[in-house]
Amino acid sequence: MTTISDHSERPEPRTREPGSRTGDWAVEVHGLTKRFGTRAAVDNVDLLIPRGSAFGYLGPNGAGKTTLIRTLLGLTKADSGSMSLLGVPVPAQRGKALAQVGAIVDEPRFHSHLTGRENLKVLAAARGAGAGKQIGPALDRTRMTQRADDKVSSYSMGMRQRLGLAACLLADPQLLILDEPMNGLDPAGIHEMRDMIRSLTDEGRTVMLSSHLLDEVERTCDQVAIVDHGMVIRQGSIEELTGGAGVVLEVNCSDPPAAARALQNPAIASKITVTEDGLTVNLAAGSAREHTAEINRRLVGAGIGVYSIRPAHATLEDWFLSVTSRLGEEQ
Amino acid sequence: MTQHSLAADRRGSWLPTLPLIGAKVLELRKRRTPMIVLVAFTVVLPVLYYGVRLLLHLSNPSQYEAAGATDAFATAGTLMDEFGFIIAVTLGATAGTSDLTDGMFRHLVITGRSRLALYLARIPAGLAILCSMAAVGFAVTCLVTAFAHNPTPAGAVVPSPGDMTDVGLWLELDLIIGFTVGLGLGSLMGQRTVPIILLILLEIPITPILADHKLPGFINGERLVVGIAMDQLKPAVLSGGTTVGPGGGGPRSLHLPLMPGWFLAAVIGGWIIGWSVLGAWKMCTRDT
Repeated sequence: MTTISDHSERPEPRTREPGSRTGDWAVEVHGLTKRFGTRAAVDNVDLLIPRGSAFGYLGPNGAGKTTLIRTLLGLTKADSGSMSLLGVPVPAQRGKALAQVGAIVDEPRFHSHLTGRENLKVLAAARGAGAGKQIGPALDRTRMTQRADDKVSSYSMGMRQRLGLAACLLADPQLLILDEPMNGLDPAGIHEMRDMIRSLTDEGRTVMLSSHLLDEVERTCDQVAIVDHGMVIRQGSIEELTGGAGVVLEVNCSDPPAAARALQNPAIASKITVTEDGLTVNLAAGSAREHTAEINRRLVGAGIGVYSIRPAHATLEDWFLSVTSRLGEEQ
Repeated sequence: MTQHSLAADRRGSWLPTLPLIGAKVLELRKRRTPMIVLVAFTVVLPVLYYGVRLLLHLSNPSQYEAAGATDAFATAGTLMDEFGFIIAVTLGATAGTSDLTDGMFRHLVITGRSRLALYLARIPAGLAILCSMAAVGFAVTCLVTAFAHNPTPAGAVVPSPGDMTDVGLWLELDLIIGFTVGLGLGSLMGQRTVPIILLILLEIPITPILADHKLPGFINGERLVVGIAMDQLKPAVLSGGTTVGPGGGGPRSLHLPLMPGWFLAAVIGGWIIGWSVLGAWKMCTRDT
């Protein structure tokens, strides 16, 4: 079992094929701070996103996710810190960096009196460098071709999200920054968006996905940073982070109350819950292997029939709630 | 993106590209309400006015002058001046705020395109629409004036081609001022309605008041008001033949000392450039 990696530990960037740049990051942020008055919306954030990864930037509403993205993209100025996108420092070389970046910030909004295709023409004109040729393929890829000539005012939220993604693809981006892209999507739309993100990373592109939907990040991303109150609390792979939440064992046995007593003296677990057909035993991170054997020994020694001992799946949500301040607020 | 296309990419340049200007033209001309109002006041209004004048003259030539008479030309010019300025302000403020209010500004900034280029693209785009429509309306005015007047009675004044050219250029300058000031103020304030109201107030009650009444202690500050400067440039044919300023001079500015041409140019240039600089500055520094 691996331990939680905190934000001071840098994830290794993926190995690239020969000839490509190695050892650099799609997004590199050091000491970034953005204040609104006395409140720090982004507080001394260090963030490293490996190239080619699907990276979740996860936090509760108001945690500072969108502010960080706006700062990265030059929509607002940072108070301190340094940033680079695809190895290009921003805001110093913002134009060069953004040439290969597509982004959706907040809810995607467009000129509602224009059609989807016309909106993309406007954005392609701003992008230049042949972006106009990408309009058709981008519409095809986001399955918007049939509705491309309808006015945006007639689009559903899901269609606007897809049009936003099409706008991102005009850049043929190496990095996509998507702020809450699942918002407003129905289950089918979420499934499509998830597939789209996977296909983009399969092509070697990097996707940074901000979300408060834990389940979506867990399903879509392979790396994640947890943010709360403007600070990155932890960063690492999902496997590492969920492992850090500790292990929950489900013990199926003949006499659950007696089994609980056997495990409480001396205490072996941080928490024991008696259920109808057994126990749920919470163990600290890193102790599962030895303690599982000890649990088995104690129960057998106490004459309790042990039918099975198996680890319960720890979800990112469990871990997230264990590390963010929101759990305490809710209680 | 290939190295070649990166090298050819000029998105950091402050100069707007033709596609960028074309995109803004597309965005503006597809706005139904401003376009209807623009066409109504620049084209339909002179057509209706001259249509009525032609019918009245046909019904009773002895009572009603021909539609091509000088007074009709002056009235049409004055209508196009007053309404044209308001339309120009409205279109300018719309061009200055539509990206922001529609939520497109973020998308545009994320492209990496220079914010200044995005701002500057609005000027030729808006003026291309505005000036071309006004030119159509004014062409109607000129055609009627040229071809629908009575045989000239002795002593009657008929606008010459030179007069028409002067009026046309003066009207276009008025539109350029209205558009750029509306654009700058709209961009500065980030919203459309208040700049339009402020500039209509400036054009309709404030400028005539300042022109007609000398304000004590104002040390002739009225001279810095663009409407008064434009009044002094107004072609004589629109002012009933009065000749005061470099362009003929309107009666509104009679109490003011005559301003030299360079001063008028400085006032007008100051309004156009000053508001454009303020609007561009806000656009370049705005958080979004």
